[in-house]
Parts: sequence; C-alpha cells; structure tokens
Amino acid sequence: MSSPTSPSPALLEVRDLKKCYENGTIEALRGVSLSVTAGDFLAITGASGSGKSTLLHLLGGLDVASDGAVLFRGQSVGRSQTGTVCIDLDTYRARYAGFIFQSFHLLPSLNALENVQVPMLGTGSHRRDREERARALLVELGLEHRLRQYPTQLSAGERQRVAIARALVNEPQVLLADEPTGNLDSVNSAKILEILAQVQQRHGTTLVMVTHDPGIAATAHRHVAMKDGLICN
Amino acid sequence: MRLSFVGFAWRNVWRRRLRTALTLCGIGMGIGAFVALVGFSRSFEHAWLEMYESAGTDLAVVQKTFLNTSVDQSAGAVLARIPQIATAAPMIINMMAVTPEINTLVYGWKSDTFEFSALQILQGRRFRDGQQEVILGELLAGSLNKKVGDTIDLQGGSFTVVGIFRSPSALEAGAIIMPIDEMQNLSGMSGKVTAFHLRLKPPPTGVSPAQWRQQAEDTVEKDLPGLRAVPATERAANNQLVTLAHAAAWGTSLIALLVAALGIANTVAMSVFERTKEIGVLRAMGWSRFRVLFLILMEAAALGLAGGIAGLLLGWAALHILATLPQTASIVSTGLPIATLLEGLLMAALVGVLAGSVPAWRGAQLSPVEALRHE
Repeated sequence: MSSPTSPSPALLEVRDLKKCYENGTIEALRGVSLSVTAGDFLAITGASGSGKSTLLHLLGGLDVASDGAVLFRGQSVGRSQTGTVCIDLDTYRARYAGFIFQSFHLLPSLNALENVQVPMLGTGSHRRDREERARALLVELGLEHRLRQYPTQLSAGERQRVAIARALVNEPQVLLADEPTGNLDSVNSAKILEILAQVQQRHGTTLVMVTHDPGIAATAHRHVAMKDGLICN
Repeated sequence: MRLSFVGFAWRNVWRRRLRTALTLCGIGMGIGAFVALVGFSRSFEHAWLEMYESAGTDLAVVQKTFLNTSVDQSAGAVLARIPQIATAAPMIINMMAVTPEINTLVYGWKSDTFEFSALQILQGRRFRDGQQEVILGELLAGSLNKKVGDTIDLQGGSFTVVGIFRSPSALEAGAIIMPIDEMQNLSGMSGKVTAFHLRLKPPPTGVSPAQWRQQAEDTVEKDLPGLRAVPATERAANNQLVTLAHAAAWGTSLIALLVAALGIANTVAMSVFERTKEIGVLRAMGWSRFRVLFLILMEAAALGLAGGIAGLLLGWAALHILATLPQTASIVSTGLPIATLLEGLLMAALVGVLAGSVPAWRGAQLSPVEALRHE
C-alpha cells in the first residue's frame, strides 16, 4: 500500500480545528489542536456533547471541519491548503483510516466473512484474495467457527470482532474507534480491549479511541479529555 | 459462493422479497406488454412480407393518399401496357365477421392470379370467377370446423367452400379468399380494388434488377397520376394496417413501461431511504460517491432486468394464447423475433437505470456522518 511521504513526525495532526452546526450557532469544536504519532494509542474522553465524537469523525475523514486542518503524515486531508498536498477524503478513508462503531453497523444481508470484505468490494481486488484476507482476519480474532453466521446470529462481542476485522481489512495506518465497548457487557468489553491492544501491537496500527469510561481510557498510552469543544488537559 | 459487487447489489434487492416481487410484477407487465404488442406488430409485418415473397410479388400499386385506399380497376389496362410489368393482379383485402366472435381477413383475387402460386391446395380446388365460392385457410377451416362442400355466410351472402389451402403467411393461413368480383359486390366496391400486385419481367441485359424496378415504379407513377408503386418489402412495412399496429403497440407499451418505471423509482427510493445508515457505513469504509451510485444503479438495473425476463415470458405466453384464440388466430403469429427479445431486455435494464438514477444520485450525495446519524 502506498503511503504519503512524511515531512512531519506526526502521523495524524489537527490544527486549530473548529466545527460549527446550524449556521454557526452551535460550536461542537472550538479550536482543537492535537498530534498523534505512529503506533500511538490515544484515548479521548469527555461527557456527552463535549465534542469527542465530532473530533473522531474529523480525524477519520467522515466529516469536514468548518475551520482548521487535519493532516495525515503532513498532508491535508480533504482540504487543499497553500503549500500542502491534499488527500481525497474517500481515498483517506479507504486506504489509511479504519472505523469501529459503538453499534457495530454490520450489514444484515451479509454473513461475517462477507461483511469483512465490504470495504474491498468494487476496488478491483480479486474475489479469492478478498475472501482469504477476510478469513485470515476473522481467524486471527477467534471467529473461525462463525464465518458464515449472519449478524443476527452473532453475540454482541462477536459482532464487534467482525467490525474490527472489517476495519482492518484494508490495512489502515490508523484505527478510529467510537465507544467500541459501549454496547458490550464487562466481559466482552475486556475482551474487545484486549483484542484492540493486540491488533495495535501486531499490525503496528495507531489507535484513537473515544470513550466515556475513565477505566478504559487508562489503558491507552495517552489520554486527552474534552469539554465544551476544547481539550481540557 | 464468493461475494461479488453484483452479488451484493442483488442481495440488497432481494432483501425485501415481497416488495421486490411486486415491483418485478409491475415491470414484468410493462415489458410483457411491450414484447406481446411490439412482437405482434412485427410478426404482423413479417407475415405481410412472407405473403408477398411467397407469391413472388415485386411491386404493389396503391393510392398515394393514406385514407383513400381504393384504386380504379381500370388502371389494370394501363399497367398491362407498361413494358417492365409481366403481370398485374388486382386484389381486395378487408376484415369481415364470419361468426359473432370471429373476424377474419378476406381477400378478393382473380381465379387465375399468380398469387395462387404461394398456396398449397390441401382439399378441393380453386374458386371460379363470378361464382359464390370461397377457399379457406387451413387454420380458419379448423377454427370454424368447415370442410369442402360446406357453406359459409358472409355479409348476408352464402358462399360454398370449394377448397382448403395452406399458406406460409399467417395472414393467409387464417383467411378467406374469394373471387374479386364477388368481393366487390360484398364490399360495395364495384370497379374498385385495394391494390394491384405486380410481377416484373426479367431485366434486360445491362440493367440491374434495382434499376429495372425503379424504371417500373417511375413509369407507373407517370402513367397513373395519384397512384404509386412500392416495393413489396416497403408495402409490408408501411401499409396502413401495419403502421397502425406499430403505432398502437408502441403507444400502449410506452404507457406500460412508464408505469413500470415509476414502480422501480419508488422501490429504489424506498430502499435508499431505509438503507441510509448502511450507505453511511459504506462511505465510512471508504466507498466513494461514485461506488455508492454505481451500486444503487446496479440494483435498479437488476430489478429492471429480472422484471424484463419475467416480461419476456409473459409476452411469449400472451402471444401463444392469442394465437390459439379463434378471434385473433388469423392475425397473430407466435414467432417472436430475437431482436424484439433483446430489445425488451435492453429496455428493461434502461428503464431500471433511468428510474433509479434520481434516488441513486440522492443516496450517493449523503455525507457519511449524516447518513450514520439517520434513524
């Protein structure tokens, strides 16, 4: 997989990031600056409405900022600035960022093996390669016996593991997780956190996780807290 | 089975089975109407061509105007003097009721016309001019259960069946042929005919058949102002009956296709609305707007194509049913040109793509984060 050349030591960086809604009347982010190095595990915490999910969406290229910049290896993501090379948002999400959601968001008409292949569909990759890659990831995450099960036939923990495999299938450099244990019991939460830690080590992936749980945040290498659209620590 | 892009599109379509099945019924009816009606009008045209070709007719002389279709029989004397023409056969064609349920084509011919060469007399003999005699196509004879020696009532007159014939053209196989003078009396067309069918002499050395035919056409139009000579192929394609059949078939089919298109548009729009969050997931996984657009268009095309296949079967069945009904058997052929089948499928896919384009465009424009928030 090709990577942009790196003029900056930070893998992912945001500079004075602002995000407004409702014609500027609601400020979800009010000038956030943050830097994430390769291989880092960053936890973002904060109360509901603090702007942590908005920040994660902007880091993952799911949304565009009202002002400020998101830089991936020094290149602007989705916004061309003078003197910088722009990475298209679709390309960024497809090649460099992987997303894990609280509600898993698996496609109900596809089984586990097929769900994992979805990001690769229509990219010109060979069917057999897609399936082998998806199978290897599911086996790695301990789901070798659940490959043909549909989401409704899987437990919540298994669904989240399928979602993690799906996020990893395009070998992203950064994994963005939005409350990945929010819909899980404590046993499954611990298991998913362990898997994410293993994945991060084994694949060398940078992990940015949003959580409201200080206990989970404590397992991260770094932790930033947000309040009222600003980083407060 | 391994997951493919097309397979993924089809899974999405088939997820709501009842709605998809109902949509397919709608498209199937539209395409079925197209195949049956356009197929019928084309086989009607083909039957005309077959009739001319099997009889060896080179040119037909008809009125230039569309509505006035009768020609003075006296023109036959003028045609006989034209050097390119070997034989000019006057003929009348009309539609008559033989029973309250059955209408059939009735031809008026001279008993010595060259057009008999296309017919195979299976029983009995030809009719004689000036006699109340008819011969029946074997299809019609079967429908009416008539045999040689029986009588048949036409427009108040009683005619004796003197022969049963076989013809390669569906237009004759289900028809009645009678003496032209009797037909003139029956139709109130004394001294008038519908057309003259011409056979040309072989072209002289150095003149091509096309040049020879053109010379004949020019001479007819010069010697008989108000009339025109048209090649048999053109007459088969452009006579009033075929033109009306084509117009009615296309008009009705287009209305049916429009209704089918609205059904597809509704189904795809509903599907996009219901799957807004899934579209957000796809976009979050790196799917571009174009890839989402392509997926939804493919779903619409799959609906159209599947409906098209159902429609082809429906149209084929409808033609076969029409061909067995005594009321329509004489003018319906079950032969469905391959071009019509392919056109039906292509049209179905095109209708699907066009109908799905607006909802697909709207789906592709969704921002990932807005789509993910959709409830």
